[in-house]
Amino acid sequence: MAATQASNPSQLLPLELVDKCIGSRIHIVMKNDKEIVGTLLGFDDFVNMVLEDVTEFEITPEGRRITKLDQILLNGNNITMLIPGGEGPEV
Amino acid sequence: GAFGGEKKKKESIFDLSKYIDKPIRVKFQGGREASGVLKGFDPLLNLVLDGTIEYMRDPDDQYKLTEDTRQLGLVVCRGTAVVLICPQDGMEAIPNPFIQQQDG
Repeated sequence: MAATQASNPSQLLPLELVDKCIGSRIHIVMKNDKEIVGTLLGFDDFVNMVLEDVTEFEITPEGRRITKLDQILLNGNNITMLIPGGEGPEV
Repeated sequence: GAFGGEKKKKESIFDLSKYIDKPIRVKFQGGREASGVLKGFDPLLNLVLDGTIEYMRDPDDQYKLTEDTRQLGLVVCRGTAVVLICPQDGMEAIPNPFIQQQDG
């Protein structure tokens, strides 16, 4: 029949998992060697994200880069992975 | 545009549901690679992977995977960044295609 998949209740939808993470810490891995850890305030259809109490990590030079407070809007264009409850890379 | 004003329902050309609860390998734009058990997905190819391992690239040679891995646990992979998905095993048993063996 139609090639479209039916909603399977026993599987976990990716954006639902991100939604559950709102209010918690989340670790975002970018396409390049940058990673962001912060508290997730929200996101949109493009998975642009609003984060708070953010730490930015640069993996290659091995070290924490910048700690930003308040809120940031993270452009979803370069996001590769989202890790709920993640603490970030070991430094 | 190319649509001509018609609304087309998004059809998947590939059914990921057969990989649910199976270990898969995923490659991303930018060279990252990861593997994990597929727990969920959507038509935009966002994925939920459990027990995820990321394979780290060699800092000197971007195309060489090192022994170095890191455990990431339960992650969401962005469909916009995914370039390849394949089963971790990468193979399956099939009936013997060489039915007639020629004796040398």
